[in-house]
Amino acid sequence: MAIRNIVVSVAGAPGSLVTAKYAIALSKLLGAKLTALYVVNEKVLHELLHTRIFVEAEAQAYARDMEQQGKSFLERLQKMAEQKGVPYEGFLLKGVISDEVINKTKAVQADMLVIGELREVTSVSQLFYDEGERIFRKSHCPVVMVRDQAMVEALFKEI
Amino acid sequence: MQLSECLQREHCLMRLTATTKEAAIAELTGTLAASGLVKDQPELIRRILDREKLGSTGIGNQVAIPHAPTPAVSGLVIAFGRSEQGIDFNALDGQEVRQIFLIGSNPRDLNVYLHLLARLSKLLNDKFFRHEFTRARTADELLAVIKKHEKSALAVTK
Repeated sequence: MAIRNIVVSVAGAPGSLVTAKYAIALSKLLGAKLTALYVVNEKVLHELLHTRIFVEAEAQAYARDMEQQGKSFLERLQKMAEQKGVPYEGFLLKGVISDEVINKTKAVQADMLVIGELREVTSVSQLFYDEGERIFRKSHCPVVMVRDQAMVEALFKEI
Repeated sequence: MQLSECLQREHCLMRLTATTKEAAIAELTGTLAASGLVKDQPELIRRILDREKLGSTGIGNQVAIPHAPTPAVSGLVIAFGRSEQGIDFNALDGQEVRQIFLIGSNPRDLNVYLHLLARLSKLLNDKFFRHEFTRARTADELLAVIKKHEKSALAVTK
């Protein structure tokens, strides 16, 4: 069975670039198409509105900023994938990160999901509420968690 | 990222001298600037006061969270201040504010900033946290309470 579709979930943080580079390298080595997902986390904005830390206009401004950051990040990944000759498609999604990633991964019939390193868990409840943990547990396909930045950078240069 | 990792002992002012919102924001940003965490303190103050004009960040229960994203800071910065006499923040519940968390973030760290605000919001909605938090007398006690509750089953947001 060939691995034809690889999905990578990114969030725009510096660590996401390393995750994306590994996903591009894997796609290149396996001859797979790469689909990148960037989810604008509307859940956190709703929470901050609900608790009245944000006002409506402020939340809307943040949503626009996050969307713009997501677009820019996906464009950057597209260039990187194209430079390596990897077929690429990027999706900017909105909602709850884990739900969006899981649903889209299923929709594109991914054979593999690449995610960044999970955060340190300091309580049992975090196992249930952390978005990365949720993705890890709910994914229908194998999940690769990226570690070791130096190794990834070296691999990315090699391909 | 956890609140207890971001809030440093030296940025917890357990006795604010300020008696107004503007002075409190200046005092809290001052302690961050003194540590070299703020590139442009007047700009940070301006952005936080601009945000206050949209609506009070006094969220009730004598707590305010003045905040703003701005390139005036390199990363994410947070300071805490406690006022014994209370400060008029035009809070939503009409009470004077006694506990202030001031948060600034470079716009490139938007996701981390939002998560930290959400985490703080969850903590402050927990009456057990508020009970212990308001009784902490020193910065070390305060940080210990935050750490304890971030590890507890009630601190669930990431």
